[in-house]
Amino acid sequence: MAEFYFAGVDVGSLSTDVSIIDDSGKVLSEIVIPTSVNGSEAAEAAFDSALKLTNLSRDGITAITATGYGRASVAFATGKTTEISCHGVGAHQLFPKTGTVIDIGGQDSKVIQIDSRGRMLDFTMNDKCAAGTGRFLEVMANRLELDLDELSSSKNIQGESAPISSTCTVFAESEVISLLAKNTPREEIVHGLQRSIVNRIWSMVTSIGIEGEVTLTGGVAHNKGLVALLEEKLGLTLNIPENPQTVGALGGAHIARRAYHISLESGTN
Amino acid sequence: MMIPDRSEYLKGLAQTGQKIMGVLPALYPRELLWAFDIHAAEIWDPPGEILHANAHLQTTICPIVKKSLEFILKDPDIINAGYLFPHTCDSLQNLGTQVKDLIGVSLPVYTFYNPKGSFNNTTIKYYRDILQNFQLTLETIYRPLDPEKLLTACELSHKIDSHLLAIHQARMTNHLSLSNEEYFKLMRAQEYLLPADYLNLLEQVDILDQPGESLKTRLMVSGILPPTSKILEFLDELGVSIVADDLLAGSRRIPKFSMDAPSSPIDYLTDRFFVLPPCSTRGGDLDERMHHISTRMKDSRAQGMLFDMVKFCEPELFDHRLLVKTLREKSIPVLTLETELEHHISGQDKTRIEAFTELLFDMVST
Ligand SMILES: Nc1ncnc2c1ncn2[C@@H]1O[C@H](COP(=O)(O)OP(=O)(O)OP(=O)(O)O)[C@@H](O)[C@H]1O
Ligand code: SF4
Ligand SMILES: [Mg+2]
Repeated sequence: MAEFYFAGVDVGSLSTDVSIIDDSGKVLSEIVIPTSVNGSEAAEAAFDSALKLTNLSRDGITAITATGYGRASVAFATGKTTEISCHGVGAHQLFPKTGTVIDIGGQDSKVIQIDSRGRMLDFTMNDKCAAGTGRFLEVMANRLELDLDELSSSKNIQGESAPISSTCTVFAESEVISLLAKNTPREEIVHGLQRSIVNRIWSMVTSIGIEGEVTLTGGVAHNKGLVALLEEKLGLTLNIPENPQTVGALGGAHIARRAYHISLESGTN
Repeated sequence: MMIPDRSEYLKGLAQTGQKIMGVLPALYPRELLWAFDIHAAEIWDPPGEILHANAHLQTTICPIVKKSLEFILKDPDIINAGYLFPHTCDSLQNLGTQVKDLIGVSLPVYTFYNPKGSFNNTTIKYYRDILQNFQLTLETIYRPLDPEKLLTACELSHKIDSHLLAIHQARMTNHLSLSNEEYFKLMRAQEYLLPADYLNLLEQVDILDQPGESLKTRLMVSGILPPTSKILEFLDELGVSIVADDLLAGSRRIPKFSMDAPSSPIDYLTDRFFVLPPCSTRGGDLDERMHHISTRMKDSRAQGMLFDMVKFCEPELFDHRLLVKTLREKSIPVLTLETELEHHISGQDKTRIEAFTELLFDMVST
């Protein structure tokens, strides 16, 4: 009996992620690499690396969904779907009781409402600026001369929080500079920054409401301090995937699988 | 169907010596202008960078006001009979005052204070009064009004309305084979074509006997202007058809139902104003507006609503929150975009639109 395999390739603004599954939905390999400057090269490289972790060749993959902001640049994909739908489907696969998905990536953050089958019901997305995204935190880490791990540590949120009134990256950065000039301890500044992101996400969440369990996806789910503050603000425990950056790619692989089976049933393949 | 380019057309017209008045959005008694042989060239979103206008306006003013002022400051030679500022919103009203008193343009500046609120004895009386005042103003500058000419203008307007109503209906029931872009180009041609030319164009529109090919995704759009042509193109690419609209530059200026042919012009103009669909810029009851939108969605079988909001447009923002809430309560999917009337489409907006299409499509296929 022929075996079918499916892949999702998520070309995000900062990371390119691939997930390969078999026909039962079992994950065979997952990979995360930086997107760098060229989305299509990153997609090729990530896909090859993910294949290497299996014993499959490119021809062995039945269908591939491209997603993420660079989805149009994945020449080898058989279909494309937005990362919003993909994160919904991916989160549903990992945590079937998910009703709300919060994806905080490098450039965008999104809140997605899904039904009991993983289908999107509603969504909202941050506006043009980087406020409330991973990029915002990276800019601040740089200014504070901390690496991402240090910035993300939950130790930072145990004490006082410095007041950061602005969510705009440019204004917040100048607030950080003046706080540093006043010798405000770094943990307090980090605490304030994390809170400002959480407030931003919270306002997006309240604009569409919370349903069911809440799953956090995207690279910022690695940020322990932020996760703790977000849980406190929402008053619930978040589902955190083991590999939050590949949830979109996983959703893409499942969408490819579903589309393939629908086409088989309707005799178009 | 060939639709002439806006600026070419107006330039050509100005060269023939035609009197042309620049009219700001949105509702004004065009028939009175026509009766004085004045052509109304509407100024909504003239192209070009906003440079000089910023010096006169606050940053939180909508791009329609900014773009209009930029256009006026350039003293365009196609406008030769003055400017008309209807009272659409406070921003436009203030702009009218500023242009008249502070900035000082060489052409006359007129205002037209549309009544706010719905149809009742006071608003009707008020509307008749301002129509007559406007007539007197024009008579002082030009000549006494020829009643026959006004009647002819109303008859022309009535014919245009009848065609627009039929075309709008055909769009809702899929009896029109026009892309999103073609459809809104046709709607917006009334902003600059001579009424006779526009009527001629409308008469060429082919209304199908049978519904066209079944549509993949059906959308209603609400706002001031139709989405920019880049967005319309993108929707066409995705197979999304805008089947109904609640746009100020669209169906909000077409009477809700077919009116009797005019016999008394002033009665006709007054009645016409009050049978226009509900609109944020005319105040009135929000429930009535919601009811109107729901009916249009049902009639056109639209699966979702796209609010394309002009940034900083106060009247629209005022109603928007409650409209969204009500639609969501009815489980109608809603997407809100914000536009500064830019000529490109951002990656984020593409993702928003595409994701919304996926959402609508998934709903159909389940
Ligand atoms: N180990 C880590 N600790 C803390 N934060 C991390 C870690 N790894 C990644 N991040 C955060 O995740 C962000 C990138 O997330 P992700 O890979 O989901 O983005 P993306 O999908 O490329 O972006 P987008 O979806 O916006 O296009 C980075 O900006 C960084 O802030
Ligand atoms: S977009 Fe809104 S604020 Fe701007 S001119 Fe039109 S009605 Fe007024
Ligand atoms: Mg992402």
